[in-house]
Amino acid sequence: MPDNAIYYQMAYAATIVLYAGYALTIRIRRRALERRAARAARAARAAQAERTAVPPSSP
Amino acid sequence: MPETSAAPRRPFDWFALLAVAVTAAAYVRAIWFTPPEMLQGYAQKILYVHAPSAWVAFLAFGLTALAGAFWLFLRDPRLDRFAESSAEVGVVFTTAVLVSGPLWAKPIWGTWWTWDARLTLTLFLWFVYLGYLVLRGVIPERDARARLSAVLGILGALLVPFIHLSVYLFRTMHPMPVVANPDGFQMPPVMVKTFFFAFFAFTLLYAALVRARYAFATDRDALEATLDATPDGGR
Repeated sequence: MPDNAIYYQMAYAATIVLYAGYALTIRIRRRALERRAARAARAARAAQAERTAVPPSSP
Repeated sequence: MPETSAAPRRPFDWFALLAVAVTAAAYVRAIWFTPPEMLQGYAQKILYVHAPSAWVAFLAFGLTALAGAFWLFLRDPRLDRFAESSAEVGVVFTTAVLVSGPLWAKPIWGTWWTWDARLTLTLFLWFVYLGYLVLRGVIPERDARARLSAVLGILGALLVPFIHLSVYLFRTMHPMPVVANPDGFQMPPVMVKTFFFAFFAFTLLYAALVRARYAFATDRDALEATLDATPDGGR
């Protein structure tokens, strides 16, 4: 039997890295989306507060 | 607690955990509980990741085309999101095919790559769907993006039957199917069981990855719709 186990070990390692890496990219993109949503919500709240603020009365 | 409803934190995904566990079990069975083949040696074990990855890639692109075709009639954004998700996962599985194939070819054929019909068509398929993802990235307008990518998704999937039949249509170095063969299974039962278990595991992994990618696309579209609705675009 030929001694070529290294090729199948490399193939298995490569596929595991590929699939796990892809799953990780989904997770990273999801986190970035959550941060973006949080920023947008903060900006919306700030704009709302600015609109509803009572202007200072003139002397 | 999330500050907006546009990208809520999702609960723990038990389906993804199941898919990972089953896929890990398939690797364990292939490595430790399946004997190597006498003539090819341990390199033959690449079959248990190579063929299931190819099956999943074909399934992914077939479903991308189907979702795209339905989108053209129904204009349902969920179909476009599914097509996008399935195509992306399909590209990942095709990459696995294109990486594991040469690692199998080198010890058996004596070369990493040959411009054989099946290998070349698979490489073309990978380029077509890579182009599909690039196309989606450069068209900002939603309807045009969905329409053009649906058409490309359908045309790209036409390569799949050619790839499957290439071993019959062309003179090729790639071996004939060992399981879907008119003469019956060309492997001992223990290898056939591992083979089908790997098919099942990789299909489950595909479903879990598409599910996660689809959830991301749904939340991204919801956030973009929210930002589009605000006067300053959420800035």
